[in-house]
Amino acid sequence: MSDTTYLSEMKEIRVDESSKLFDKNGMLYKEFASDYRQIRYYTLLIVQSAPLEIKEINLLEQQISEVIKNAVKHGNQCNPDKKVRVWYSFDSTHARLVVQDEGDGFKDMEKWNDFNRKRLELLSKHDFEGLADYVSFRTQKSDDNDGGNALFAALEYWNGGFVFDRSRTAVAMLKQFPKKKHSMN
Amino acid sequence: MELKIRKNGENYIIDVNGEMDLYNSYKLKELVMRMLEKKVEHFIINLESVDYIDSSGIGALIYICSTIKKMNLKLIITNIHGSVKKVIELTKLMGYFPITNSIEEAIQQMDD
Repeated sequence: MSDTTYLSEMKEIRVDESSKLFDKNGMLYKEFASDYRQIRYYTLLIVQSAPLEIKEINLLEQQISEVIKNAVKHGNQCNPDKKVRVWYSFDSTHARLVVQDEGDGFKDMEKWNDFNRKRLELLSKHDFEGLADYVSFRTQKSDDNDGGNALFAALEYWNGGFVFDRSRTAVAMLKQFPKKKHSMN
Repeated sequence: MELKIRKNGENYIIDVNGEMDLYNSYKLKELVMRMLEKKVEHFIINLESVDYIDSSGIGALIYICSTIKKMNLKLIITNIHGSVKKVIELTKLMGYFPITNSIEEAIQQMDD
């Protein structure tokens, strides 16, 4: 049995320097040292600006935490002298962030896209045996605490876009929340 | 994160309590590996009291699931709900993990 929904909506991580998602006008700003132990705390400092109307705040927190973790760990290699810079804005309809690190950039983007394409193909064929090799993206730098699955979810969650700048050290993302449904007929 | 083990016949139920995040998830992995060394064959991981999971938590579940599958032993993950379910759905792993809605269903499937 084949399920083409996975393929028709095949998404990629892209470089798009000119994306308006990088426009930082009017956004709030915080910067942090690259301290692995503080990742969830940093995330809370950001998420506390989100309005209470946002449902699934846990999920938003988790998705932001992943992006900050990537910057602290994979970008800055947990080097305390390197900063993570975060621009963010929230309202009841959206969450938008730009997260920048001081690392070498996401060099494995093409490899990641190839891996993800293969993963989605296997999913569309419901080939769960084959999928076993494509549930976790590993590089030589991956360690036991890396799930290797954060970006799969990120690409789905950030439904308004998830793009890198040319240096691949900054990523911008937008989540659009569904409008409230009114019970008017 | 707290982990408790209880036994039901041949099945070992691991009750996970707390957040499966980047600081904690390795504990579940380590516990399961120790249980495998002790020749436990039937695992039920109960996520009823887990309201937060991140990619490390998902990674731990993937690792546990593939290890147990390779050894031809049995695993069921149960009581997945709320944002934990959402994260697993976003990662499109609902079909990959052996999942039931309740411990009772898990025990029944183990016995089939």
